[in-house]
Amino acid sequence: MALDIVLAPLALAPKTFSVGDKVRVTVSFKYVVGVNTTVKLFAGPYYTNIFGRHMVTPCVGQADVSLTAASTPTSQVASVDFILIPKANGGIDNGTYGLRVWIEGTSAVAEQDSVLIVTGNPSGGGDILTGMMPMLMMLMMMGMVMPLVTEGMVEGEQ
Amino acid sequence: MELKTLALDLGTFRVLQDGFMVQEYAAGWYLDPQTGQRVFYDPNTQKFYTMAGGVYIPLGYMNPAPKQVTLAIGDKLRITMSFRYSGPAISSAVCYYSIGVYGTFGFDEKMVGQNSKSIPQYTTPTEVTDSYSFTIPSSVGTNWDDIYCKIYGGSPGLSQTLFGYENALVIVGTQPNITEFKIADFAKV
Repeated sequence: MALDIVLAPLALAPKTFSVGDKVRVTVSFKYVVGVNTTVKLFAGPYYTNIFGRHMVTPCVGQADVSLTAASTPTSQVASVDFILIPKANGGIDNGTYGLRVWIEGTSAVAEQDSVLIVTGNPSGGGDILTGMMPMLMMLMMMGMVMPLVTEGMVEGEQ
Repeated sequence: MELKTLALDLGTFRVLQDGFMVQEYAAGWYLDPQTGQRVFYDPNTQKFYTMAGGVYIPLGYMNPAPKQVTLAIGDKLRITMSFRYSGPAISSAVCYYSIGVYGTFGFDEKMVGQNSKSIPQYTTPTEVTDSYSFTIPSSVGTNWDDIYCKIYGGSPGLSQTLFGYENALVIVGTQPNITEFKIADFAKV
């Protein structure tokens, strides 16, 4: 007897985006509610450090989702867009981020680490100079100190 | 308006009276056949305990619900408890029912109700049932999804026996109750 098993990926695959891109997130869920209502759906990138998880707030998008009254669990699909605002405009840096989606005022939250790969922030000349500054400072100090050391050695020989 | 029911089985118990107290277990460790968890029975308190962090903790009376009942405002929920009893006739025992929120700090009772129950004498364990109906109010919270019941008191006195279910109810209130929330896809547009 052969087992016919279809393997489906449990996790979302990482995708690469450039700053300025608009990302559309689609969610699915079931709900029950006694009256027609509208909820706010939010989505955005987050990063993790030793202090926990932090949303990249300028990039969080929101959308209104209408729910019609339903007394039995009803399936619903909804979308929300957010824009990857460049770092120069106070937005997101290049790197890998998680994706979090939630509905305000409920316990509905879904998230996954390391699925948003962000590129496209320019690395200008100023940044290169900043990176090389420590090495330049060290070379300058050595340039100042070495003549004194060599002068002392010459006096000692005399 | 719809009447929906939940049933809770309290198991077997007897009156709290020396002449009729029968010790079912010897003191010691047992293996819970349902969970595989090692539990300790103390015949003095007639309770099972589990050990966590070097401390004996009474086993929880709350259990995962075997089914969920969806309720809207105005619906009636009938909770039925059943147990097996042997012993003398008991008058005016309290059958107590509650709907609420079960959390780290215990059960936050949002709605309560009780019946006075008289039980005839039984010489062999016999099933006894009792029911209470709640009407879901307009002020219901979507997190009022836990229930528990207990029986105690009367003459001669019954020791308190509790049993409850977590996530037994799905409340259709004015706030949406959302489940199975997941990211289906994300893409550049």
